[in-house]
Amino acid sequence: MANKKRALVVFPGRGSYAAGELGYLERHHAARADLVGALDDARSLAGAQPTRELDSLPKFSPSKHLPGRNASNLIYTCAQADFAAINREAFEIVAICGNSLGWYLALAASQALSLKNGAKLVDTMGHLMEQKGVGGQLLCPIAAENWRIDSAFREQVFAAIARTPNAFLSIDLAGTLVLAGSDAAVTALQKELRAPDGSKLVQLPKHAAFHTPLLEHVAQEARQLMTPALFGSPAAPLIDGRGHIWSPFSCDAQELYRYTLGHQIVEPYDFAKSVEVGMKEFAPDCIILAGPGSTLGAPIAQSLIACNWQDIVDRQAFMDRQKQEPILLSMGREDQRKLVCQD
Amino acid sequence: MAGAITQSQDGFLLRLEKGLLPDPLTNLTAQEAALTKTDLIELLETQFKSRRLDLESRRLATQGKSYYSIGSSGHEGNAALARVFNVDDIAFLHYRSGAFLIERARKVAGTTPLWDMALSFAASAEDPVSGGRHKVIGSKELFVPPQTSTIASHLPKAVGAAFSIGLSKHQRREQAVLPNDSVAICSFGDASSNHSTAQGAFNAAAWTAYRGLPLPLVFVCEDNGIGISVPTPNSWVEANFRNRPGLDYISGDARDIVDATRAAREAEAIARQTRRPVFLHLRTVRLMGHAGSDLEAQYRTKDEIEREADQDPLLHSARRLIETGAASIDDIAAIYARISDQVASVMDKAATRPKLASAAEVMESITPAAGAHEKQADQASASPTAKPQHMSRTISATLAEQMEADAGILLFGEDVGKKGGVYGATTGLQKQFGAGRVFDTLLDEQTILGLAIGMAHNGYLPIPEIQFLAYVHNAEDQIRGEAATLSFFSNGQFTNPMVIRIAGLAYQKGFGGHFHNDNSVAVFRDIPGIVLACPSSASEAAMMLRECIQLAREEGRVVVFLEPIALYGTKDLHEDGDGLMLCHADQFGKPASFGEVATYRAAAKAQCTIITYGNGTYLSRRAQKVLASQSISADVIDLRWLAPLPIDNLLDQIEDDVPILIADECRQTGSLSEELVTRLRESDVTQSIRRITGDDSFIPLGPAANEVLIADQDIVEAVSKLVQESTDGQ
Repeated sequence: MANKKRALVVFPGRGSYAAGELGYLERHHAARADLVGALDDARSLAGAQPTRELDSLPKFSPSKHLPGRNASNLIYTCAQADFAAINREAFEIVAICGNSLGWYLALAASQALSLKNGAKLVDTMGHLMEQKGVGGQLLCPIAAENWRIDSAFREQVFAAIARTPNAFLSIDLAGTLVLAGSDAAVTALQKELRAPDGSKLVQLPKHAAFHTPLLEHVAQEARQLMTPALFGSPAAPLIDGRGHIWSPFSCDAQELYRYTLGHQIVEPYDFAKSVEVGMKEFAPDCIILAGPGSTLGAPIAQSLIACNWQDIVDRQAFMDRQKQEPILLSMGREDQRKLVCQD
Repeated sequence: MAGAITQSQDGFLLRLEKGLLPDPLTNLTAQEAALTKTDLIELLETQFKSRRLDLESRRLATQGKSYYSIGSSGHEGNAALARVFNVDDIAFLHYRSGAFLIERARKVAGTTPLWDMALSFAASAEDPVSGGRHKVIGSKELFVPPQTSTIASHLPKAVGAAFSIGLSKHQRREQAVLPNDSVAICSFGDASSNHSTAQGAFNAAAWTAYRGLPLPLVFVCEDNGIGISVPTPNSWVEANFRNRPGLDYISGDARDIVDATRAAREAEAIARQTRRPVFLHLRTVRLMGHAGSDLEAQYRTKDEIEREADQDPLLHSARRLIETGAASIDDIAAIYARISDQVASVMDKAATRPKLASAAEVMESITPAAGAHEKQADQASASPTAKPQHMSRTISATLAEQMEADAGILLFGEDVGKKGGVYGATTGLQKQFGAGRVFDTLLDEQTILGLAIGMAHNGYLPIPEIQFLAYVHNAEDQIRGEAATLSFFSNGQFTNPMVIRIAGLAYQKGFGGHFHNDNSVAVFRDIPGIVLACPSSASEAAMMLRECIQLAREEGRVVVFLEPIALYGTKDLHEDGDGLMLCHADQFGKPASFGEVATYRAAAKAQCTIITYGNGTYLSRRAQKVLASQSISADVIDLRWLAPLPIDNLLDQIEDDVPILIADECRQTGSLSEELVTRLRESDVTQSIRRITGDDSFIPLGPAANEVLIADQDIVEAVSKLVQESTDGQ
């Protein structure tokens, strides 16, 4: 164990499978056809489109790849396959966390949910969001070009949320806040707030107001569709969207169920905090960001900057560190993937 | 002989792997203590983390990367307390409370106790609690103010905090920091329970409860049976505390986490529901000696050391898990291995973080808000009294004015209530503001100051009174070691603002003797951060008291307001009936700003400058007039602020090239005069400097007191001589 690098594994959320990821399973996981096939069989039975089919389409199609259910399933499959590809001879996985949808992926990777039940949860939630999701999400960058958070602007954003009816913080990604709310709230926030570069806040396509009380009905329905018995203890510590640690042995699976299909859906998801807790309480040597994609790399780096991890004080310091001895290994990037995978 | 528990030998793991688990200590089941299997595993994880922090800290200490290796090993049962009490039950913890903090942190998602404690052990400037100034157990968000060398000196403030919770509820106060239904906790060892400070706190708590007043406090005595090398007599703690009036006694065995939980629940129920103080006596063991530098083998046999290790609370917790079927020995070993790696990695990385690297960085937290109180504009303020009054009257009137404006101000001490103070400086205040805000304490200065610290923790602005200067010496550590250090050791996160009024100095007529005329203020002069103020007339007292209260409120400062007893009732300055020592409306033209002296200029250009304070100002002003009649002009500068010395403003006020006389009513040795001479010379003041001071004596009874004190005639003579020498030299 002493020779292994201690790694915090981070799972990405929605939006990580984009045009560049098309063919990901084929490219990286041809050897894991059994795993992918088993997950797809269950999806087909549930009425979802198999991920291998989606992944092997000749062209990226927003109407096929971006809707919640398909996107979630694709990301789940790619990420679980990536997780299986991590070289365990070289890395000791000391804790696992994720961003939003990534929390479900983390549950499955940690074995708190079986691979199939994880897929079921993701498919169920993806389906529910398509059917019952309300409102929308906005990306609100709050970091300067050096990736340091503009605290004053952050406060302004929170003030705007506070005075806008049905507007909420959805996800804290350190340098970016994901805001959410009713359609009217989203419009109002877009009108009131501008990104630091003066641009309009971007609304995420086909995203509902996740992690807000507006989805209480979705949480209730999810609890009816998913039973507590599906949940078990994780094999590796999990860090949730509050920064709470769920440890093997001491994890109360029923509590984990209640959090996942309760608080987690209707309260803000503090991804930055989960990364901070992962670094401080487990002191890993590196972070492995599972694919697909690598867009969560910037929020991870910004989370490190926000908590001043090992003198990574800004973007340049992060880039320098990456050149010397990368602290972040993104499996969605070819150059870093080969440092992580055994195949 | 399964092996001791040391940095080089893990006696816990050796015993676990061999299945050498201790026999049960009680018939109590986990279920009876309402602990689930998950609870037991969580508690064991906490205990493991605490133990591994100790061991890793010692490992790194051998490499010079960790410091002050006093640890929590053997006391990990205090995790039960953290589980039972609420996160906002303020906890003043002793240095063996690692498990308590880790377990309490579990209640607040997103906290990082391992990393935070590791930084503290490594004395890193990034330590979020003390900023690298001490190994501390503390956390602002977990309501654990950091304690340092806690030989029971934190107990009086725990009494104060608990008292403030009851008071706050009674007052239906909205600005309280601590919830009205909360309780306070403080922990200490069996040896410390004998300390007079601890005994004072137990007594004060019991005295308060005996009077029927709420005091929701749990004293947690973690009894490991030994104080460094001195064993506590068998059953002494129980015999000492089981039958105290006003104090409930609960005992438990914290080697067994289940029994510790049971006992903690019982204690918590009494404190929270009945609002009475409880003495919770928990049996523990002490593993790995007192601290890293302590060679236990010098005073304990190998057998004794091993027997302690056999009773390791971690082994008892492991036994509980196995008994309940929650985990196997292999499971427990796996948890321990995982946590061991985790803590080692955390400690290794924390040890590389930067340390404080300059005096400025170290001292930044002594008075972090210094300067927040802005100097007031030079505009007239109102006299606190409608008619001219003497000093004790203006003090009580100023207190009334300030208490009227700020409901958070509390005033307490010996005889300050109905009697209105020995010298009337609090006359009428209890009647005006009620016994909830102006109250008599029991006769114990440690308690008075501890009350102030604890109340300040709950957002009050306490103005405690010490009846006589000589009485503060038995309690000075509450200022020096506790109140003054809080901001420093908490990186400015916690402050305990207060204005300590102390009646003191000599020259009382008709009430003599040393203990009512003590003329030594040295005790306050070297405490970093505190403010020592000393007024010299009725109007000065009013203006300076206002300023002191603002300093406390706006900068979180600990202020000592030294009131010259002899001036309390003084009305006249030069002759009977002149009324010049009374407050007059025209004396309030300019505020008595912190850092600014008061100058009484001579009518003509000064031939000499007299620097003085307190009674010395009174004497010097009298001398000034006598000197003027002899055609000698002398300015009188009243320092007002004795610590920190207002040196910049003083230099501005001194006339160039005229000699300086320092008239210091305190002793030749240790008085302010020593610092003044030094600071003036260091500031390149080149003219002659002389000083006259009291003698290095205690103050005797009756007229003999004057033999060892300076008088106005001494000042006249000294100035005359200085001026003559100066003239001769030209």
